[in-house]
Order: sequence, then structure tokens, then C-alpha cells
Amino acid sequence: MNRKLEDTLDQLYEIEGIEACMLYRIDGVPITIRVPSYREYLLETMFWLEKHIRRVLGEMNREGLKETIFYFKNSRILIAPSSNSTVLVTIAKAEANQQLISLEALRAIRIVEACVA
Amino acid sequence: MKNGRILTGIYGLDDLMDGGFRKNTINSIYGGPGVGKTTFALQYSLFGLDRGEKVLYVSFEMSEQQIIRDCTDIGWGIIKDYIEEGDLKILHIFGEDLEFPSLDITEIIKKSSPGPNPRIVIDPFTYPTFYSDKEKRKSISTIFQDLRRIGTTLVILEEPADATAAVSSGNSGEILYTNRGLSTPLYLSDTVLFMQNLGFGEMYDRTIRIMKHRGSKHGEGIYPYSIETGLGIVLRASKKQIDRVVPKTEFDERFVKAIEKTKSMGKLGEKLAVRIEALRKNWVHDEDPQQILELFLKEETKSYEPKT
Repeated sequence: MNRKLEDTLDQLYEIEGIEACMLYRIDGVPITIRVPSYREYLLETMFWLEKHIRRVLGEMNREGLKETIFYFKNSRILIAPSSNSTVLVTIAKAEANQQLISLEALRAIRIVEACVA
Repeated sequence: MKNGRILTGIYGLDDLMDGGFRKNTINSIYGGPGVGKTTFALQYSLFGLDRGEKVLYVSFEMSEQQIIRDCTDIGWGIIKDYIEEGDLKILHIFGEDLEFPSLDITEIIKKSSPGPNPRIVIDPFTYPTFYSDKEKRKSISTIFQDLRRIGTTLVILEEPADATAAVSSGNSGEILYTNRGLSTPLYLSDTVLFMQNLGFGEMYDRTIRIMKHRGSKHGEGIYPYSIETGLGIVLRASKKQIDRVVPKTEFDERFVKAIEKTKSMGKLGEKLAVRIEALRKNWVHDEDPQQILELFLKEETKSYEPKT
């Protein structure tokens, strides 16, 4: 189960244009992350996510949203709940194929949900 | 396994903790109600008992009968035999009865110990009921020092109700380090394990984090666990998570070169080489250590005139 989850993140991370992908618990604790070696702006984004993910999820729940996108500088951050207690985040370059990334993220979310629920 | 390690008996945990607890240390388990702290403590005890070790279980809440009943329910009825044989001693005492605990509790433990170098469990460590704030740190420090001399201790710390609320609002980390009541025993412990249960019934709701493990390499993620009848706590760390704490050998050549280079630098170089060798033995990263080695050597060989 755990391996399938890790493999899913690996596959998502391999998609061109994806800079990082992380599975968080809803309290902001990272469960598993795929990031390249040190990039300051990614670190800043991750700190921001850890602090604000719960609030973002609360807002999404209130508004009935299935996913939310933030733009930070040249990055596009896709936040999508993957189960009752987990949320998948992908950080992609703004010029990457966003449609493909959204579709692949959706596919990953389904697998994650099957793994953790 | 490293020398002087005490296996925890928690399935999957020792691989993430450099082989287990260090001998003669204080190891704290911190968590809210229902996360499995007592199960952890009993499993730790049972593992030692099955291997001929002695265990002293100091319970501030449950009586011997309650502990036996809980153990029997989870499939550990053998614990009754260990009590009869004298390998396991359960002490049920009340914190309020201890007048000067820094002396009392260690004296009681010393006198009641079923044998040399036992596994000791204190469940839970109800310090707020018997310490004044002023003396708390000193008292706890004294108790911990004495306990270290007696054996390897597992201390259970109850997460207060306000912290449980904070967990569900996402501030658990802050509470863990800033809560006045808990911070002292946590700082003074050699190892701190944080057990959590969010309560959604999903895989990552029940998790263990190794917050601190002095003098040891340890996993830094959150690890899901389940409590299984007959077995107890079973951690489900992924292979990748375990690999992250296993020393890598593929960069050995790089380290050897750095060691040779430093050794040729004279007296200071000899000292630095020892440290690089220690780093080599514990290098768990997949990345090349070149950058770190260069930085280390640059900083250590800076010209410096000590003031006399």
C-alpha cells in the first residue's frame, strides 16, 4: 500500500514541468515529498503550505471546491484533497502543460485515496 | 544493531531509530488519549521479558489487575507468568502520595527493581500533581539522572486536553514545544516519540514521529502505525523511508580522498580526518558529499589566532 503511494508520487514527479509534489496531512504535516535538490523558492512555498494548508482546505470545503490553484512568482501550485485526511500538492512551472498536470494529479489523487482510506 | 542499543519491540521502529533506544536513557512517549501509549509501554516490556530481561512497571493509573486484563485482551496473557516468576514487577502508586518525589520515586524504583539494569516504565509521568513550578526542572532532572543509573526508562507523557484541541486545529508542533507543563520532561529526555491520531480512520491518522533521539541517526518523517491484536503496535514505514536512515557506501571513495587530504595537513588534519570518517559511516543521503566536505575543510582551515 505504502509502496503504491510512493510509486504514484514518483510517477507524478517525473512529468515534465512538475517541480515538486507533496502529500500532506490536513494538519500541514508532510507525509511524503518529491523535490529536487535545494531551491530556495520551493522551500519558501513549502513553509507557506505547511502553515496555511489547513486554512486553504477549510475555505475550499466552504466553497465546495475540488481543487485550488495559487500562482507564486513563476510557479503554479495545485492543491487538491486526496482523502479525508490527506491533500496532494503539485508545484509546476507556469509554462508547463497545465491540462496534463491537472489530469495526472487527478489520477494520482484517486490512487492515493485508495491507498490511505 | 549498534552496541548498547535496547530494542523497543515495536515492529518497524528500531530500523528508524539507529537500532533502538540507547542503554540507560530516558525515552518519552508523548500523545493524546487513545493513541496507544500504554500499548507501546507494555510491548516494550514484553519484548524484554521474552528475552530474559527484568521489567519494573510503575503505574500511576492502572492497577496490576487492569494491566493483566488489558494484556490478556490483546493476546499477551503470558504477562501473568512473568509476574509470578518475578521478572515483571508492577507498582501501582499515586503521585499525590509522594511527598518529596525526586527522592521518593527513585528510591521506590531502586528498592522494587526485579533485577539489575531493568527496563523501567513510568505510566504516566504525572509530574504536575507533585511538583512546584519553581523546583520542577531541578526535580525532574534529578529523577531522570537517577533513573539513568538504574536502567533504561520509558516515560509516558499525557498530552493535555488543550493540546488535543490544538492537534485538530493544526498546531500540534507548537503545543509540543511551548506547553509549559510538558516542555521540561521533553527537553530532559534522550528520546521523544510523538504519537498522534487524527481520528478519520485513514492510514496517516495514526502516526509516530521521532522528535528527538540523542546521539543517533533517526527517521524524520511521520510513520503510520496500527495496533494489531496479538502483535501490538506495527509501524508501516515505506522502504524509501527506511532507506533514508541507512548509511550509503557509494561515496566512500570521496570520503577516503578527503581523509587522505586532511591527514596530510598535520595535527589538526588528523583530528579532522576522524570526523570525516564518522561522517562517512553515517552518510545517509543520496547526494554527493563533495560540497559539504569542501565547506567543512574551508571553515576548519580558516586562519584564526586564538586570544590568549
